[in-house]
Amino acid sequence: MKVVYNWLKDFVEVAAPPRELASRLALSGTNIGGVENGPHGAVMEAEVSSNRPDCLGHYGIAREVAAIYKLPLKHLSPKPAEGGSKASEAVKVEIQSPELCGRFTARVIRNVKIQPSPKWMKDRLEASGVASISNVVDISNYVMLELGHALHTFDYDKVRDHKIVVRRAKPGEKMRTLDGVERPLAPDQGRQFDSGICMICDGDGSRPVGIGGIMGGAETEISFSTKNVLIECAWFEPVAIRHATRFLKLHTEASTRFGRGADPEMAELASRRAAELILQLAGGELLSGVVDVYPGKRAPKKIRVTRAEILRVMGADVADKQIEGGLGALGFAPVRIDQNRGAEGSLLAAWECTQPSWRAEVEREIDLIEEIARIYGLEQFPPRLPAARQGAARLPHYEAEARLRERLIGLGYREILSIPHVAEERDALFRPEGVTPARLSNPLSEEAGVLRSTGIVTMAGALEWNLNHGQRNARLFEIGRHYRLNGSASVETRVLTIGATGEAREKGLYDAARDFSFADLKGDLDAIGELCGGFRWEDGATGWLHAARRGSLHLNTIISSAARNLSSLGVAGQLRRRLAEKWKLRQDVFLAELELDPLYAAMQAAKEARRYQPLPRFPVVERDFSLLLSEGTKFSQVTKTIQSLGIGEIHSIEATDLFRGKNVPAGKYSLLVRVTFQSREATLTDAQISDFSGKIISSLEKNLGAQLRAS
Amino acid sequence: MDTFYLDLPKGAPEPLLLRTHTSPMQIRTMEKQKPPVRVIVPGKVYRRDNPDATHSFIFHQVEGLAVDTDITFCDFAGTIEYFVKQFFGPSVKTRFRPSYFPFTEPSVEFDVSCPFCGGTGTAASGGTCSKCKGAAWIELFGAGMVDPTVYGFVNYDAKRVSGFAFGIGIDRLAMLKYGIDDIQVFFQNDVRFLCQFP
Repeated sequence: MKVVYNWLKDFVEVAAPPRELASRLALSGTNIGGVENGPHGAVMEAEVSSNRPDCLGHYGIAREVAAIYKLPLKHLSPKPAEGGSKASEAVKVEIQSPELCGRFTARVIRNVKIQPSPKWMKDRLEASGVASISNVVDISNYVMLELGHALHTFDYDKVRDHKIVVRRAKPGEKMRTLDGVERPLAPDQGRQFDSGICMICDGDGSRPVGIGGIMGGAETEISFSTKNVLIECAWFEPVAIRHATRFLKLHTEASTRFGRGADPEMAELASRRAAELILQLAGGELLSGVVDVYPGKRAPKKIRVTRAEILRVMGADVADKQIEGGLGALGFAPVRIDQNRGAEGSLLAAWECTQPSWRAEVEREIDLIEEIARIYGLEQFPPRLPAARQGAARLPHYEAEARLRERLIGLGYREILSIPHVAEERDALFRPEGVTPARLSNPLSEEAGVLRSTGIVTMAGALEWNLNHGQRNARLFEIGRHYRLNGSASVETRVLTIGATGEAREKGLYDAARDFSFADLKGDLDAIGELCGGFRWEDGATGWLHAARRGSLHLNTIISSAARNLSSLGVAGQLRRRLAEKWKLRQDVFLAELELDPLYAAMQAAKEARRYQPLPRFPVVERDFSLLLSEGTKFSQVTKTIQSLGIGEIHSIEATDLFRGKNVPAGKYSLLVRVTFQSREATLTDAQISDFSGKIISSLEKNLGAQLRAS
Repeated sequence: MDTFYLDLPKGAPEPLLLRTHTSPMQIRTMEKQKPPVRVIVPGKVYRRDNPDATHSFIFHQVEGLAVDTDITFCDFAGTIEYFVKQFFGPSVKTRFRPSYFPFTEPSVEFDVSCPFCGGTGTAASGGTCSKCKGAAWIELFGAGMVDPTVYGFVNYDAKRVSGFAFGIGIDRLAMLKYGIDDIQVFFQNDVRFLCQFP
């Protein structure tokens, strides 16, 4: 709301210049977005929070100023001259829906002269950002900006039977509002939903002439030919107003004020103020008295506040004088009610306050404490650190995650965070079969229509971004989640996603450049596997991965619940060329995704199982086997075959050379396998080694059709 | 502020949304745990805003909650001030402005002196500081003392316990600390950006 500095001065004689005032207001809860010096003096942009409808008028802001600066607030008591005949004879008001309209006041002024407003009023309206129309219309806007209470003026002669009926909108009802728009006021007949709109009607109540608390109707509006004016100043139930604005998609200055909760007591005063101004600017005779139907009148609430509670919540004391001064200035009329009334600063001090009609949201002791604190000044409460009660604890997986992150960074990867909203089409490329994606019902665009069902899709996107921005080399990882639906339940799974492309090693003085390969990816993942007892690699059948450069990862460690239904920990490999081309990725791209909860569990299990193994005292013996294998035979089959012999002295099995072509028949390939043996009991003898070697060779020959090449 | 909703199959028991702030973690924590409570909960949050230099439909918050028999506004002020001075340096000035949030009472906005112009409102070039728009202060986050009504939902005794809660935008803090003027760079993952934060 725009607050005109000079207008404030009508109610409080504040000496502080506008900028200083703005800062003090901000520190007491009325934030000022900016101060501008315009042709009509300084104007402050007040950002009034939704719980403070009383500050949506200059009078309410002036009350705050008065409280902050301990200045008197000039009370407003308009006393317009009244004429002979009674308003109650000129207009009748009937409220049929008191649950929507708690008060309705009407005043009538005869023989007004509608004309443009005088300059001073035009200036203030202009400074407030409101266009001037005619004196009577301007007055209703002026009073609203002054007192924060919206009111409406009717052309009295257009109101049928000079009777107002306030009722709930009926199904299928429509009306044309002041802005010329024909609006449906309630859903069509037959639908159960009730818009809860409060209608102001005339005559027998059949014709709507205004939407209560939101906007007047076109048919009874003030025009330059208007002679007699009916002033409506009412109070509408805030919740109903908020529902109605949503239904109508119509937000007005009036609906903002009533929707947040206007002051029912202000209705009559605002009406009187409007009458005073109309007499002043448009002449005419005000009929005596007011028609005031007030079914919603409530007795003011009593609220207690004690020093003990102030201390308990705020942690520092506030003097009696400050408490009483602040609350008093805001209208809470505090009265000491404890036994120690005479004793200033007593720890047992208690006050009974009366809730002002304009502060419906202040109902509890804590609300009063906030009022005391904000007027006293939050800076008066000295900062201190709370006492620690117990040691700090991290999340259960924190340590595993930190180790994982450390290792990845050590391996040369950089951590990223990506937006999980992706295009459905992209997500589908990587989505495992049978997975239901989590689609958004109201995405900002199709490009962000679904939450990633795998971290691979966003990791591929991050590599794509870098390649498209001239960054050829990237090694990235993300610790995040992927999102899926299981029926109508959402399933979030913590995952590690890895992406790499470009050079594994840059060209340097002593080394040639080398491109990142599947072996690098596998090596990096195995380095992670070391943290959790090692990974077992199997041929993974994921469609988006290059058929020869991919694998699925499995835990070696047996872990509890987390992995029970886990077929694999994840997949890794090179993105299929066809897909890479589709994304215009002109170099090989490597991707992997691992589920983290089972990985963390395995890391924890490995950590707990870790025990010192005495260093072997006996030498290691190596034996190389040069094998001729049929194409299609995998190294994993070789290892399995050897392992299945159950020779406890086997320490490791490695592939050390691969060869095809010359001297190797078509359909075959040559693989050099190095097996190392070690015994913890004694030095292995040649006879033992020969025996092991013989068993290995015959098993490979028998099970895999391998041939031993002459070495 | 608008919210993203999930498109669920017909007959789903209740609609699901992407959280717009980390505050639900207050209740989730208190439902599981009796006082004393002191937690820090970082997380992603989503708001259906069109992306630009200062808006992203995803960003990060860290929620803080402390509830005990002796937590007061002074403890709250001390905690926040400690953090901010650690984060921005000891010379930063701080202030609380009363505000309104549904789950705290009293509620405050927390401001720091603009780190770009040193809290003067004037840029080094002499003009108005473009970051704080001459206000000399930058709004950091909203916070407050936990509204006693909240304790009623988790069976805490509002007469015995009190506490504070805050929700800080992590991305915003990083932007202020490092002078990042476009929130989108956090999510583009350009290696030239990543390399600057080894």
